[in-house]
Amino acid sequence: MTNAGHRLLWTIIALLLVAGGAAALAASLGTLPGVDPASLLLSADLIDRWRMTAPWSTLAAAVAGALFALAGQHLLARELRGPGGTLRGTLSQPGRRPGRTRVAADILTDALVRDLTGNPGVRRARVVLTGAPPHPDVWIQVDLTADAPPAGVREHVHAAVRRFAATTQCQPAHLDVTARIEPGRQ
Amino acid sequence: MRTANRVASLLLGTALLVGGAVTAVQAVLLTLHRPTPLDTSGWFDAVSGTRWHDPAVRTVAGGALLLGLALLAAQLRRWTPVRLRADERDGWYLHRRCVERRLADAASAVPGVRRARARLRRHDGQWRPRVRASGDPAARAEIEFAVHKELHRLTAPHPSRVDVRLLPRRRPA
Repeated sequence: MTNAGHRLLWTIIALLLVAGGAAALAASLGTLPGVDPASLLLSADLIDRWRMTAPWSTLAAAVAGALFALAGQHLLARELRGPGGTLRGTLSQPGRRPGRTRVAADILTDALVRDLTGNPGVRRARVVLTGAPPHPDVWIQVDLTADAPPAGVREHVHAAVRRFAATTQCQPAHLDVTARIEPGRQ
Repeated sequence: MRTANRVASLLLGTALLVGGAVTAVQAVLLTLHRPTPLDTSGWFDAVSGTRWHDPAVRTVAGGALLLGLALLAAQLRRWTPVRLRADERDGWYLHRRCVERRLADAASAVPGVRRARARLRRHDGQWRPRVRASGDPAARAEIEFAVHKELHRLTAPHPSRVDVRLLPRRRPA
């Protein structure tokens, strides 16, 4: 899940906590209309109704529990899967003559990574393709060595992306490059 | 904050999964009049005997309210970005922490300057480096020059000014 997704999730949880906490505090202090502060949290009437509607009430609790468990499983899976929308599988291009060219997306990203790390200033590179195949979004992270000239590496990265676009006929719709530079030698 | 959010989401996911599964199993067993793995009668008696004005209810409600407000403040305040845009056109970004370390190294390399620390903060849409170091106050201009030179080398945008705070070194007794 993205950082913005986390931020939205925890903002919603915070708002729910504020609303619930404020309502319970107002009920406890007697300022919430319709609630007597001396009354029980679970009134006898409520418990009677729960017992009268059994087994539907307990079945409803079981369904609610299963939905919560499903939501938890979904959240965990999204957390452990990493950023979503990564292109996997096969890129398919129609040829000028009858037929199609199919290339596995992993091979294309590996080729771009190899091209990027061909520069001695690039210690490591990571490439992620997202979006629709003819014009994918290309996300690159390059780790530069301490003595690498960033301007030269920048030109190398753009040349590698141009070669990638020419070879695969996939002109990136959006290019995003993050450079991490090692600290200089002391 | 980003790491804290991820860890909190993992914990929330685990709690929802375990809590939801236990609730579902318990409710199904109750429906079938079978013995349940958890004995909830004590918890049920405690809740059904509690009134709205009890101190425990106020403590829990106040705690939830404060926790919610703290979470809201943490999520809505402006976060320091992870990366610094180097150019508007070509989508090239520099990792902020790496740039800060490089600037600190550049400031430390100035003769007479020790223990330099650099921070990059956004100010009026621009990046403003702040350098703190101990050393001779006369080295300020040299530190500014070193920071500008390093930013130029890293192809980072040029800041309009560099904040330098130099603490005089303590003399040995």
